[in-house]
Amino acid sequence: MKIRGVFIEDTFAEAFTMRVARIVITARSSRWVRAAASKLTGFATSVIGCKVEAGVERELPASETPDGRPGTSILLMTMGKDDLAKRLIERIGQTVLTCPTTACYDGLPDAPDRVGVGSALRFFGDGFQISKVVAGVRYWRIPVMEGEFLVQEKFGMLKGVGGGNFLILARTADAALEAAEAASDAMAAQPGTILPFPGGVVRSGSKVGSRRIKSMIASTNDAYCPTLRAVTKSALPEGVNSVLEIVVNGVDAPSIATSMRAGIDAACRSGVIAISAGNYGGKLGPHHFHLREIMTGVAS
Amino acid sequence: MSEGTVARLRVPLQQRADFAELLVGSWPSLSSRELAERPIYLESDGPIPFGEMFELKGEPRGRIRLIGDLAMADRVGAGMTEGEVVVEGSLGDETGLALGGGALVVEGDVGARAGAAPLGFKRGMTGGELIVRGSTGSAAGATMRRGLLVVGKKAGDQTGIGMIAGTVVVFGDAGTNSGLWSKRGSVVALGRITPPPTYVYACTYQPVHLRLLLTRLGTRYGLPVRPRHLKGFYRRYSGDMAELGKGEILTWTAK
Repeated sequence: MKIRGVFIEDTFAEAFTMRVARIVITARSSRWVRAAASKLTGFATSVIGCKVEAGVERELPASETPDGRPGTSILLMTMGKDDLAKRLIERIGQTVLTCPTTACYDGLPDAPDRVGVGSALRFFGDGFQISKVVAGVRYWRIPVMEGEFLVQEKFGMLKGVGGGNFLILARTADAALEAAEAASDAMAAQPGTILPFPGGVVRSGSKVGSRRIKSMIASTNDAYCPTLRAVTKSALPEGVNSVLEIVVNGVDAPSIATSMRAGIDAACRSGVIAISAGNYGGKLGPHHFHLREIMTGVAS
Repeated sequence: MSEGTVARLRVPLQQRADFAELLVGSWPSLSSRELAERPIYLESDGPIPFGEMFELKGEPRGRIRLIGDLAMADRVGAGMTEGEVVVEGSLGDETGLALGGGALVVEGDVGARAGAAPLGFKRGMTGGELIVRGSTGSAAGATMRRGLLVVGKKAGDQTGIGMIAGTVVVFGDAGTNSGLWSKRGSVVALGRITPPPTYVYACTYQPVHLRLLLTRLGTRYGLPVRPRHLKGFYRRYSGDMAELGKGEILTWTAK
């Protein structure tokens, strides 16, 4: 299969079941929404080192937020249920509670699984906090020096999917970056998904384990490192001098497939030789995204 | 959603009537026939089945609409815990007495002690939403513990007196001694109010939770919420300092 001359390898991305929460942050202006969102989603690229993966799903106009102010929707994901509650409390407590004018709401009101967030953060109020129930939902008003921080008591939790991916194999580093930027832009608008890595792009894809250190759970994906072509079992076609990976997480598999399709389509441009994907032979993750199936109908 | 039962008063009330037993318990699961058997107590003539006093149409399925001049109907919605009741007109005293859940919407005015505690009891409303589009008599929301009481026009004296918690929103002016002796709870005044002397001014600010609450009151009940209410400033008074002091009066201010 080829799309605009770019070869689509007959392989699949292997992804995992994760727990996901959707956090809605509002503030007096977009400036403070972005300030809180950038801190909340900071250092949240991979559960391997960050314990959590997070990213901005989309910006929300005032007409779509609970309090009629500008906002943003963020997806935060972990591998386990208990972990999600801890990370939400830590991150909202340190990055949203601290940010001027913000309020924080649950973005998954229909999710049956609920985790306490405001119910834990309220203790920062040192007994001065006030609870209010609006339309059957409890919120906590926590007094802060600026005024009050409003946070919803419980947040919904769903089973999501993490680790959807594809690799852009390009003739040059510039071509790889341009294609990755185009893919990232196309995928940023896909609802129900996030790109947890910087700018949506990963340059340091990893393989499971290490050749030398047993305790390491991940190390460089040498098969796709152009500089190692001569000294390892390379997976790179001839002419490839740079590889970038796009990783996408989402609330469900169809959202990821839609996002991958948009991203791969955008990445198939001049200077790109092939599109591949990362997997572990299909033995680790239950979600398999076959590139050629996803791109059916786009191929030329 | 089903419109529920429409109950139309057959003959105008000539004496006060006590509706305390009409909507207690799980009334939404009753058939209209069962509901028709519930008693209304007339002050002079004693009990009469609801179905004799009102012409009923439709099955309740969680909703009932009362139509007629019910200004002498007392304790409508007393002890209610679920369902939605709409009253086209005004009601008498003790409307929504000790309301525990559900929504009771009164299109007109109500008498004294709406949402308050039954005499001899400590707790008024413990949940639900009591929406009065008109005015309330004295002591509305007295000793309420939870829930929401909204007054579309004027609230009488001693509104929210002795509140334990919960929220009272008054769109018009609130009478004297509103919020007096409250332990916790919020009285939100969009019109004029004079906080009791045992309340202490804290600050002027923009409480975000009021944006949530008022937006809901506008969208759910069509109450006259204006942009100035959502985006404006509120003076916060803490009180009652003669009690626990964890309550508040939030009064809208032009600046």
